[in-house]
Amino acid sequence: MERIKFYLRALVFVIAGLFLHYVLPQHDVVKLTSTEIIRTDFSGFNRIFYAQADSGAVEQPTRDLRLINTDKKKTFLLGFVPRDATEVMVYRNEDTGWIWPPYFKFDSSDLQAEAASAAKTEGWAVLTHYGWRVRWASIYPNAIAIRPVDGPGVRVIPWFNIFFFIFLIIGIAFVRAMWLQFRERAVDPMLDSAGDRYDEASAGLAERRGRLSRWLDTWRAKDKR
Amino acid sequence: MGFIRLVVFGFLALSVVYLSISLYSRSVRREKLEKAWAEENPTSTDIAARDAFVAEGIAAYNTSYQRKLIGLVYVVPTLVVATIIYITNTN
Repeated sequence: MERIKFYLRALVFVIAGLFLHYVLPQHDVVKLTSTEIIRTDFSGFNRIFYAQADSGAVEQPTRDLRLINTDKKKTFLLGFVPRDATEVMVYRNEDTGWIWPPYFKFDSSDLQAEAASAAKTEGWAVLTHYGWRVRWASIYPNAIAIRPVDGPGVRVIPWFNIFFFIFLIIGIAFVRAMWLQFRERAVDPMLDSAGDRYDEASAGLAERRGRLSRWLDTWRAKDKR
Repeated sequence: MGFIRLVVFGFLALSVVYLSISLYSRSVRREKLEKAWAEENPTSTDIAARDAFVAEGIAAYNTSYQRKLIGLVYVVPTLVVATIIYITNTN
């Protein structure tokens, strides 16, 4: 039982971690090389990894997708340890609109223009994105912002994520405090009174059964000794 | 369309948060009052006086600033969303 509990808890942690890794913003140091637009026919599987149509437009089964091609600095440990090596990375550039994930991005055309302008000068930039690049499913991370920088050696401090995790921990502690208060003040007294009533009822039942069985006993055969 | 959905569901979600926080806050206040009464009158068995003391404290809480501050549950997320919209969509 303890083992099953442990594995279930580990599974919940892994799923929550993957979810946050997908949704929270990350910063890549990239050299923008080009921008392009491809037509995309979503499958039932990879559809959920794309946003909806641009926020002012209508949803169709197929549409054009803005892509940003880059050379990205490789890193270890979620970007905390920089490396010298580079790899190619392709980002999609879609409006997230009003719904999910809550980046409220409506400016993908402007971002594409920024990317094109930076690609012309082959400058380095810090590209903020969320999502994963999954080659076999044709899934791209979504670019959120591009900030030109002088060189590839910049140090990016993820302020948003720092505050997000601080507030997440505060929120969890608060919900826990609320739950404990609710248990102490509402559930436990109710269980106590239910327990009392159960005790009274079973005591009453025992007494009645006592009377009944005593009466029944008068009909039973006496000790035949 | 998406905006209306966000407003409606956001309002519902925040209302759930508002209700739970106000219930929690009142419950904490009631517990504090009960404990204060027990401390001042450790031997008293006058339940009517105790209930009156707690009811008076809750009435004071109901008109307090602290209770009105829970309304920030609606204000803060709105400001956060407005800030995110501004930061994301300016170059």
